[in-house]
Amino acid sequence: MTLRIALVILVCAALSVVESVVPFLLHLRTARADLLLIVILYLALHDDVIEGAALSAVAGYLSDLTSATPAFLYTFLGVLTFIVVRLGGSALKTEGGIQSAAVAFGASLIHSIIATLVFGFFTGAGMHFEFGPLIWSAVGTAIAAPIVFSILRRLDSGFLHVDGGGLH
Amino acid sequence: MQGEKREGPGRAGRSEILVGSILKRFREPIFVVALLAVPFVIFFVKAKKGRDLNLVDKVVLSLTAPIEKTISGTAFAVSDVWHGYLALRGVRDENVRLRRESIRARSIEQQTTELRLENERLKRLLDFTDKQAPMRLLTARVVAVGASPHSHTLRIARGADDGVVKGAAVIAPDGIVGTVAQLTSAYADVQLVVSPLSAVPAITQRTRGRSTVKGTGDIGRCKLEYALRTDDLQEGDLLVTAGGPGFYPPGLRIGRVTNVVRKPHGLFLDAEVVPAVDFSRLDEVSVVVAAEPTPAPPAEVAGSPQ
Repeated sequence: MTLRIALVILVCAALSVVESVVPFLLHLRTARADLLLIVILYLALHDDVIEGAALSAVAGYLSDLTSATPAFLYTFLGVLTFIVVRLGGSALKTEGGIQSAAVAFGASLIHSIIATLVFGFFTGAGMHFEFGPLIWSAVGTAIAAPIVFSILRRLDSGFLHVDGGGLH
Repeated sequence: MQGEKREGPGRAGRSEILVGSILKRFREPIFVVALLAVPFVIFFVKAKKGRDLNLVDKVVLSLTAPIEKTISGTAFAVSDVWHGYLALRGVRDENVRLRRESIRARSIEQQTTELRLENERLKRLLDFTDKQAPMRLLTARVVAVGASPHSHTLRIARGADDGVVKGAAVIAPDGIVGTVAQLTSAYADVQLVVSPLSAVPAITQRTRGRSTVKGTGDIGRCKLEYALRTDDLQEGDLLVTAGGPGFYPPGLRIGRVTNVVRKPHGLFLDAEVVPAVDFSRLDEVSVVVAAEPTPAPPAEVAGSPQ
């Protein structure tokens, strides 16, 4: 396991804690950002396929652990989102803050709809499309996307500097 | 040249090379498909069974949950200091208001005590025995909510070591909160009544009509199912838990009925329920756990020395 993989997993764990604690402390009901989804987006657009898919599975697994949903729903969705974004990757640009927010908004909506479909179909809970919460969650994710992207870019630029300096 | 024989790989060797080259060439798609298929198969198999935490899950939770507890505990401590020492403006007015409320509450309490005593007298008269299983309430601090925006869970700082079991009912002063969905030794995740996986048998307090309150995934709204169209259900009616083995204790508030729609056909009416509890403002909850067996009084031995 390389140091970068370990650091990305640590970032995922930290974001999972932030995602659990901040809405609770701020009494947020709907506009909750899906921070781990933003990590998956970043990995899909910047990482090598094998490493990115594996890290997306880890991010999904962390979501799974705190959701009390049937095991591995979000792990599956994490890898699926990685693949879908990777396939459409050439068309997506996340250079600026607004671009990354727009991509995160769209990805969050699609991710939520697929999650609702898969969850409702396989658990027998039925389809409950609540578009209000889905859109608010996408708004929260869009607002948080530039911050999470910049954290991950900094992490990666640190590695580029180390590589450039000849440290391996 | 004669006698010189080229020794190529055999059939087995050739197939090994072929497999190897295919694996090398399609390494990425094979890996990604496997990574997609394995979680899906496990999810598919366990979709209707709920979740039991394995060792890895427990290790990850035991690492992250204390951090969540520390952060939320620190935030609450800072908030307490702020409210206790710095934000004292308006305390006098609040004091007067609270005194008035206290007088009103005491009068209600006296009435309630009278009613309780009357109820006990009547029960004795009717020789009614309480068949409810003995239980106690365990206060638990909420430390976090589910990480995914689509989850409907709370994490509480009580676990198996405190006597909490999977499926235990969790309540708040305003009404029911949910049930314990997964737990470690020190923490438990509570699935809220608004989760699409939740269904609570209910009774309308006014009419005693039975129904089921089903979660929709919207934190502010549930759906009322199996309420008979002939029931005199009205907007604002209070729903309480119906009780029964494996469910919430009876008589706890669930929420109020809204948006009642009576279709001209069918057995049941359509309605929604606004939960009694605001789940985004819960700092503490109570978990219903089995009462500890009371120690039997020491048996008096006949003829024991005085």
